[in-house]
Amino acid sequence: MSTITGAAPAAETAVRRRGIRVRISRDGLATLLFLVPLLVVFGLFAWFPILRAFVMSVQETNLVSEPTFVGLDNFARVLADPQFGIAVRNTAWFAFLALVFGYPIPIILAVLMSEVRRGRGVFSALAYLPVVIPPVVAVLLWRFFYQASPTGVFNTILGWFGLGPFPWLQDSTFAMPAIVLEATWAAAGGTVIIYLAALLGVRPDLYDAAEVDGASIWQKIRYVTLPQIRTVLFVTLILQLIATAQVFTEPLLFTAGGPANSTLTVLLLIYRYAFQNSLGGDYGSAAALSLMLAAFLSIFTVAYFWLTRRWGSDS
Amino acid sequence: MRSRTRRLPWVVAALAVITATIVAACGGTTTSNAPSAAAPSAAAPSAAAASAPAAQHEPVTISVGALRPGVTQDAADALFQQIEEFEAKYPWIKVEPEEYNWTAPTFTAALAAGTLPDVFTIPFTDGKGLIAQHQIVNIDARVRALGYADKFNATVLANGQDQGGAIYAVPTAAYGMSLTYNRSLFTQAGLDPNSPPTTWDQVRTAAKTIAQKTGVAGFSTMATENTGGWQLTTQTYALGGRMEQVGADGKITATLDNPATKSVLQRLKAMRWDDKSMGSTFDYAWGTMNQAFAAGQVGMFTGGSDLYTWMIQNAALKPDDYGITVIPLDGSDSGVLGGGTLAAVNVVTTEAERDAAVDWIDFYYIQKLISQDGAVADAKALTANKQPVGVPALPIFDKATYDESQTWIKDYINVPTAQMTPFTSKIFDQPLVNEPAAHTQELYAALDPVVQAVLTDQKADIDALLTAANKQVQALIDKP
Amino acid sequence: MSTADYRQRNVRWTMHGLKLGTLLFLLIVGLGPLLWMAKSAITPTQDTLRTPMALWPNGFDLSQLATAWTRVHIDRYLFNTIWLALGSWAVQLVVATTGGFVLGVLRPPGSRVLTALVIATLFVPPIVLLVPLYLTIVDVPLVHWRLIDNYWAVWLPAGASALNVLLMQRFFSNLPREIFEAARVDGAGPARLFWSIVLPMSRPIIGVVSVFAVIATWKDYLWPFLVIRNQNLQPLSVRLPIMEATTDLGVFIAALALSSLIPITLFLIFQRLFLTGEGVGGALKG
Repeated sequence: MSTITGAAPAAETAVRRRGIRVRISRDGLATLLFLVPLLVVFGLFAWFPILRAFVMSVQETNLVSEPTFVGLDNFARVLADPQFGIAVRNTAWFAFLALVFGYPIPIILAVLMSEVRRGRGVFSALAYLPVVIPPVVAVLLWRFFYQASPTGVFNTILGWFGLGPFPWLQDSTFAMPAIVLEATWAAAGGTVIIYLAALLGVRPDLYDAAEVDGASIWQKIRYVTLPQIRTVLFVTLILQLIATAQVFTEPLLFTAGGPANSTLTVLLLIYRYAFQNSLGGDYGSAAALSLMLAAFLSIFTVAYFWLTRRWGSDS
Repeated sequence: MRSRTRRLPWVVAALAVITATIVAACGGTTTSNAPSAAAPSAAAPSAAAASAPAAQHEPVTISVGALRPGVTQDAADALFQQIEEFEAKYPWIKVEPEEYNWTAPTFTAALAAGTLPDVFTIPFTDGKGLIAQHQIVNIDARVRALGYADKFNATVLANGQDQGGAIYAVPTAAYGMSLTYNRSLFTQAGLDPNSPPTTWDQVRTAAKTIAQKTGVAGFSTMATENTGGWQLTTQTYALGGRMEQVGADGKITATLDNPATKSVLQRLKAMRWDDKSMGSTFDYAWGTMNQAFAAGQVGMFTGGSDLYTWMIQNAALKPDDYGITVIPLDGSDSGVLGGGTLAAVNVVTTEAERDAAVDWIDFYYIQKLISQDGAVADAKALTANKQPVGVPALPIFDKATYDESQTWIKDYINVPTAQMTPFTSKIFDQPLVNEPAAHTQELYAALDPVVQAVLTDQKADIDALLTAANKQVQALIDKP
Repeated sequence: MSTADYRQRNVRWTMHGLKLGTLLFLLIVGLGPLLWMAKSAITPTQDTLRTPMALWPNGFDLSQLATAWTRVHIDRYLFNTIWLALGSWAVQLVVATTGGFVLGVLRPPGSRVLTALVIATLFVPPIVLLVPLYLTIVDVPLVHWRLIDNYWAVWLPAGASALNVLLMQRFFSNLPREIFEAARVDGAGPARLFWSIVLPMSRPIIGVVSVFAVIATWKDYLWPFLVIRNQNLQPLSVRLPIMEATTDLGVFIAALALSSLIPITLFLIFQRLFLTGEGVGGALKG
């Protein structure tokens, strides 16, 4: 990276470690001024709220009366709430469905697209188009598509093939898969592009070497392609899981957690605790649940990377 | 290191400079709410302040939440005209209308954020809760100074009073539940729109006929945003059940799993899955149900008696379609769920603003009910802007006053009253029952999933769902 | 796949078929809903309700677009969204460039700690911040402002993007040091360094961060919904769900279509940014 070589490596290291030597008296003030935006914005709107979340989770707060310290009561109340179990199950179900729908398809698409010699840009653009649509627009559009009457858009199309009208969002079993379908549509394009970039980055001489060894197409995929993009696959898997664990806009706008709480996710429950009671929210429980989710995701991520460290490390 | 400590004063100085700059840059923000400088006082204002000599009035501006979102330009114009009339009568007061609509999920965010207008409306169910939390102003002295405080219907007024009887919120409207039906769909299905169903069995049969002959939902019920529980409670009351029982010692017991509620849910289940007369949409809330009805997609539903106005203003309802009758009552103890709206004043207001707020409440909401001039002026403003006049309501004073106010505006009534006689001729004979007293909105919220489950899951276990909901609500009631 | 593979006829035809199939799939799935939205924006409501897949059985209704623009005031909400995006972009750039500059170039003592603190925020899911950030906006500590209904409530928290800072920091620290040294020798202070040297050399990364900042604002829903209550100030994403209940369906779809125009246009113009490796960083963020 650095092109300075040679004579005084020790001094060089000293400079690089301390940055460009900052002359204290004259430059100190300038440096600080440059730091102010970062400090103010992160301080007030990132670090302070994070600390505040910890404090709120052990308080009873409804913004009206003075907050009172209640220890771990909020956590206990959340864990005892039947909605909590439902939300956790639903979120896990959503994550699972999202993986089933949304993990293999982008890979297959990316593999096929990587073989396109000319006009690949068109493919990429088409795949990515749903990603740039604002989520609110996409959800409202799809909610109309999902109208359960026989003249709903999807029901009409399926009617051409003789498939009966489906209840889509009006059925407690159907609603979650319907939401996952839209969420996958809206997000798959991003993953396709990432995979495509990874696939195109595989060194062609590896393929040539395999060919010389007489490998068939399937063997090439299995022994060259997959190992090379292994890291990307693992990283996108964990990122997708973390993202789906926090799904909120879709269940809120499609069904508000219904019907019968079948699409209630953890984030939606946090929102409910904080904002759905017309006489004042239970911010303590909302903060407690947020922290529980954060803790779970952190542990999950650490465990995930520890488990897969042997698999992804040689890329 | 010496350099670090020498830098410290610079840090402080730099931060101070930047902060001051930001303050200067952002300080120009104005919101339409009053500045929060005035300390909210829960103590009753002295009577002298309320009746300050007319000559000595400081100019004051108040924001009022009187514009429903999405309302037509005509409806907005009617409001503006009335604001002009008000400002002419009270020249020192300037009124700024704000878009406002009470729904359970959005109200609390607005409350927390302090973005409520100075005058806003809340349902009867939330009056006592907000009073207990000191979030609305004690306007007792000001209201009593207006002279008609003791003419209010006592049960109605109680929703806006604290334990000691001090008035914190003024009732502005009362409604009773009704069975609203689409006359055109009735005709299309071969039913007589002038003889709507009078028993629940007739409702069920009519629903089936409408569904078969016209293909739309014969009967529908709300199910989201707390309206599911609200309508379930309504239909429960109609069969004689109650959601909460108050013991002699004042202890409240949740009785969500009472036999009447089970009966209602079983009938809904049968209509949904056996008769298939409830169409294919089951996530209606208050607004979307009205919309669907106005669009001719619903044959009958239970809802308020005051919906005509909204449907005309927001959903392009064809007046000929609107039919309304009383809810069929069945069994002893059955009654009509009664609700209403209260007007309250935001605590984040100055004394002068509170005076102005009460003047506005008096002018805009009450005068048309008790004074001929007020009633006629209101009717004129509405008809001038093609808004409905004469929609049925329940009295918030007494029946005699109500009848009198109707005669005053007789010449301006432009709603199809003939279509409303099945309701207006019988509602005053039906017993009115108040909504459950404790944790009302949370009770409704607990019942929403029950209604949704029955309508969207053929295998829903009604008993289990009600038991769970009951447990949830009892826990809320018992929470200290 | 190599050219050798392609010489086999069945491989060639299979691949052609698969590629064609992929293209069709992408067209129908990726473009289909958008084309339907465009078609329905100019189809009368009744036709959309009764025969949603028909192509204009009763002719066009261009007035729906006009109604969406004027009576439903999409123009105002579009302007709000643009204004919100611009402010957000400005704040994000200021914070990320200045912060990245200090952390990546100047590196005073303590910058390691600071960088770690910035990275730490990446590990906190945004939801944890929701409620306390909301309370902070309602009453900003030290100065006791209420930022509700004020665009700063959206702009300032947007600046707290660790990803932006880290992207800038990494880019800046990869810039050749000799140029800085040379400028130093010439007596340039940090400000000069920043303005005349670092920034001009950073156009690519600034471009990437900018485009993603604008798109992120366009997509943002929950936060503006919570903090901007005044109807006249709300952006499109907040307004559209609220107006659905009181807007004619055809006009509503026209509104949806109009709201998608700018993001789609931005995408088509800046395709390279989105679809190359640098886009990966943005895609991870968005």
